[in-house]
Amino acid sequence: MVQSPIGSKRVSESTLAIRVRNVSKSFPGVQALRKVSFVLETGEVHGLVGANGAGKSTFIRMLSGASTPDTGDIEVQGLPISFEDPRAQRDNGIAAIYQELTIIPEMSALSNVFLGEVPNRWFIVDRRGMEKRFRELAQWMGVNISPHVKANTLSVANQQMLEIMRAVHAEHDVIIMDEPTAPLGPFERSRLYDLIRRLKENNASIIFISHDLDEVLRLCDRVSVMRDGQLIETRRSAAWTKDTLVKSMLGDVQIVRGRKRERENVKPLLRVHNLSLPGKVTGISFELGEGDVLGIAGLVGAGRTEVLRSIAGLEPLADGRMTIDGQELPWPSSVRDAIRHGIALAPEDRKREGLVLSRSALCNLLLADIGSVSKGPVISAGARRAAAALLARKIGFNPDRLDSDALHLSGGNQQKLVIGKWLYRRPRILLLDEPTRGIDLGAKQEIFQTIRGLSDQGLGVILVSSDLEEVVEHADRVLVMARGKPIATLDSHEASVERILNLIFAVENRPLTAGVN
Amino acid sequence: MNTARPVTPPIAAWRDQLPTLIRVYGIVVTLVLLVAVVGVGNPAFLSGQNIFNMLSQWAPAGIMAVGMTFVILTGGFDLSVASGYSLCAIVAAYVGQSYPPWIAFSAAIIVGLLFGLVNGLLVAVVRINPFITTVGSGFVINGVALVMTKNAAFLVDNPDFGTLGAGRWHGVPYSGMLLILFLLVFGFILARTIYGEAVYSVGGNYEASRLSGIRVRAVVASTYVVLGGCIGLAGSIIASQLSSAQANLDPGIIFDVLTIVVVGGTSLSGGVGAMWRTAVGLGIIATISNGFVLLDISPYYQSIIKGTIIVAALALDGGLTRLVRAK
Repeated sequence: MVQSPIGSKRVSESTLAIRVRNVSKSFPGVQALRKVSFVLETGEVHGLVGANGAGKSTFIRMLSGASTPDTGDIEVQGLPISFEDPRAQRDNGIAAIYQELTIIPEMSALSNVFLGEVPNRWFIVDRRGMEKRFRELAQWMGVNISPHVKANTLSVANQQMLEIMRAVHAEHDVIIMDEPTAPLGPFERSRLYDLIRRLKENNASIIFISHDLDEVLRLCDRVSVMRDGQLIETRRSAAWTKDTLVKSMLGDVQIVRGRKRERENVKPLLRVHNLSLPGKVTGISFELGEGDVLGIAGLVGAGRTEVLRSIAGLEPLADGRMTIDGQELPWPSSVRDAIRHGIALAPEDRKREGLVLSRSALCNLLLADIGSVSKGPVISAGARRAAAALLARKIGFNPDRLDSDALHLSGGNQQKLVIGKWLYRRPRILLLDEPTRGIDLGAKQEIFQTIRGLSDQGLGVILVSSDLEEVVEHADRVLVMARGKPIATLDSHEASVERILNLIFAVENRPLTAGVN
Repeated sequence: MNTARPVTPPIAAWRDQLPTLIRVYGIVVTLVLLVAVVGVGNPAFLSGQNIFNMLSQWAPAGIMAVGMTFVILTGGFDLSVASGYSLCAIVAAYVGQSYPPWIAFSAAIIVGLLFGLVNGLLVAVVRINPFITTVGSGFVINGVALVMTKNAAFLVDNPDFGTLGAGRWHGVPYSGMLLILFLLVFGFILARTIYGEAVYSVGGNYEASRLSGIRVRAVVASTYVVLGGCIGLAGSIIASQLSSAQANLDPGIIFDVLTIVVVGGTSLSGGVGAMWRTAVGLGIIATISNGFVLLDISPYYQSIIKGTIIVAALALDGGLTRLVRAK
């Protein structure tokens, strides 16, 4: 096999990798796509941006063959694509890598790469052939993953690499990546960008979807904006700026900007001294004043989530000194303990740990304090609704949608519920773990507005986010972490993305192709 | 103040809501159809006498189904029901031989609560898979019953003992009244109290509930205790109806109980369901069984028909759930 294994399965030659003409699609109650026409040139990296609900997901499901358009047609390399069944779709030459990875956690990395296309001789699995090919692919991509490890032991970044290996192996002309960098730290992102450039050099065409507009502008040749089910505009990325992109995506939305805080009159709220969690975190100390927003910055795996979980009482092995309002307390050993001290956590994985998806938004908003809306053991439906509506307005959630199942809400609305449910309990300290992950710009601003409002009322907020720009913009101070240890605490005027990254990399200092975790 | 985001889907036409409506209320339609079929086939079905008889006959299974609803709603499962049923009946009969009936029935209920507590602790605190736990505890409970009775029957002479199970008030059986009472009271508890809300939350997402400060282990364990109490009462009723009790009274009753809950539409994965569904499920199962008798259907066909209706109800439920989710 050649060193760069990308080739084309399809015979026809065309400079257009994909041509979409007037595709429309509607679902009960909603027109998801309206006469979308789109062109993907061979060998280009094409960015696709738009708010949640703009139609991006529906559009790429059309392209990957998972969904059939009502009208219009789609051609790949000049030939119309088939929508019959997944096997036929595979021959279309389009691979899609979604945010929800299609990895089988219990199977090996090797098996995952060859999912659905297991090389075999007369139905018996050709193990040696698989391994050889796996190593070829891994070497070409610059990743260091052992073929026999179970996929669920790999980091999300490496699992993603497996999916890309699958696409590369199958020699697809077109690779669609939906929010690939959302779970990745800056390090793994560079690795991915490199890979994308290499794929491009081998004549693969890539559609790249991301909410990170800087990334999109840097990486892509052209960028298209979608809004309300329509493709609004396509320009070369040199012809876009971040502001013009945002304007095109949204019309006008108020961007929440950082504030300058006077530090003299800040009353101390929480002091953490020497927090340690064996194996994960050591020596974390900081002060949080009333109304403060403390950001915690670091790479994925630096221990930021563990710090929050420890404060929230979720890590029984955590140890350290905690002082609230000047009174020293034993470290919270359970969730209920922490809640009693006024500590509330919005977890990283909002769907798995923050919401009961099968229940309505209303039930989720009242999840943290079921008993408070009742007189005695019986719940009054009217009081519940009133309380929920009040909360909903505080967080920018449409009260008319309180009866929707949490499952059907957008990421932004789901996150609002996760934060909102704590407001009923009037927490003193709000811990936010990646609150804006996977959320569109408009909803992000609403969430920051909520956070701003809460901190103005005197709540202390600790914010963990992989979006360093976000942290720099909204935090009054930033605690920089690496490998479980604190590196520095920066005031807002000294904090910048470059400064933070430099501090981190001075400690992390990993070579670029290290993939094993 | 922030308003909704730009893309708000218009209100779905009622036709689009149809799959959801069917999914939610389809079983009610099924029940109505079944009642119609049997009622037309044999009008005696709808007579007061027949309905009261059915209530009395299905009281034990129905009451246990009330308790089982709680367990299944938290994503749990209890396969020790048949053994517990026999043991509680035996305790009731044994105590009833020498003491007034109300003491006998109280003893049975207490025994039920106790093994419910053991099951609950094993599942919720020790965190053993409920299937395995309750299969194991079922064996133990059955063993206790055999040891107590040496596989003979306990007979009760006291005529007052039979009042609970077989007694009637102006034709309405006491056992039937208890069944309806349980459905209503526990239905209310499930739908309108903080405890009920907690049951739904824990069943819907254990981890998120835990992180939100709900006492998840207590909630899970309590459902088994509720079921235990129901089993105690059900055992008392059957012992009273038969004026006797023995081990392995009705090994198949677990299937009836589970079927009642699941056919009603309560999901085995937890978090979705309601007591009215259990009531409808009971109606469906009871109508089918009674229908076989009244319509004179050969007993050989009964299994096939019963199984088909059950599988069809579940498939419809599962299929529609997927349809609704896929939108």
